[in-house]
Amino acid sequence: MSDNAESPTETQKDDPSIQHAATEQTGASDEKKKIDVLLKAVGDAPIMKTKKWSVERGRTVQSLAQFISRFLKLEASEQLFIYVNQSFAPSPDQEVGVLFECFGSDGKLVLHYCKSQAWG
Amino acid sequence: MMAGERNPASCYLDERTFQLCCQLFLQHSETIQDGWSWEQIKGTDEGFMKKTVLMPVKPSVLHKQHEYSIQDENMVTDDIQANVEDETAGVQAVCEIHAVLRYEYHVLYSCSYQIPVLYFRASTLDGRPLSLEEVWSNVHPNYRQRLQQGPWDTLTQQEHPLLGQPFFMLHPCRTEEFMKPALDLAQAENKRMNYIVTWLSVVGPVLRLDVPLSYSTEVSAPD
Repeated sequence: MSDNAESPTETQKDDPSIQHAATEQTGASDEKKKIDVLLKAVGDAPIMKTKKWSVERGRTVQSLAQFISRFLKLEASEQLFIYVNQSFAPSPDQEVGVLFECFGSDGKLVLHYCKSQAWG
Repeated sequence: MMAGERNPASCYLDERTFQLCCQLFLQHSETIQDGWSWEQIKGTDEGFMKKTVLMPVKPSVLHKQHEYSIQDENMVTDDIQANVEDETAGVQAVCEIHAVLRYEYHVLYSCSYQIPVLYFRASTLDGRPLSLEEVWSNVHPNYRQRLQQGPWDTLTQQEHPLLGQPFFMLHPCRTEEFMKPALDLAQAENKRMNYIVTWLSVVGPVLRLDVPLSYSTEVSAPD
């Protein structure tokens, strides 16, 4: 599953269920198990260098948020907020596959994210 | 766009808009039988939204108190009581391995902060109020660590401003940090949004309150 993003980081290696979205179409079985997510920064949130990701349908919002937080190297005291449909925060336990079914368009799920201030 | 009284850069909400957003929210709650209701304070034009939920939790949530030395016995009592009370029929299936808690959520308007605030109270099925420690145990892990380590008391015991009874309150001082981005985004896309839907979708899950996805698409913004 090659891609044109930069080399994998340590965090990516820990998360085989979240991978850079391939520019080429992958096999049919992969397409069913994973959905394409497009991450958009809001406010002063750091912008992900890689915005498009393939995520397993069963992955929860909380798990994805943790992945993004590690990828962006957020401090422990910074909270990541994720929005679907631009202004609705899905429950942390919600599966991204369900969000894709409800809000996906053009084959991808757009998620906006922002972060809170660090303490102090 | 929300009505002109709101400064585009601000996340504050006037009371009238609060009530309008709540009424629209409640209409959808009615449609999907999500259990919310409006409580009007008699003789005033003040009111709040409320919802009561029965919630199965891992027994370890209730292990944080000092008064009860026999934890297991306390939980078994909950299980037996839940089984004999028909009105809690829906939770019988989970009673064998979980304790069941009763959470009552209130959405109030704060005049001093000019934003909504979430109040709640929690008890076991036999009516014992949860301690602050136990409530913390039940805060969603996605938020718990950061909130507990914060420099202020995020969860405090407060007298309910309208009922005068002891409740817990989720401190609203950080509301702006998650509302502003959503408000700015809606404004940039020239879309109106319902403040209460957005706000509750963020704060609700912190305290195990589920806000179904359909609120996102089916509830309109006030004119």
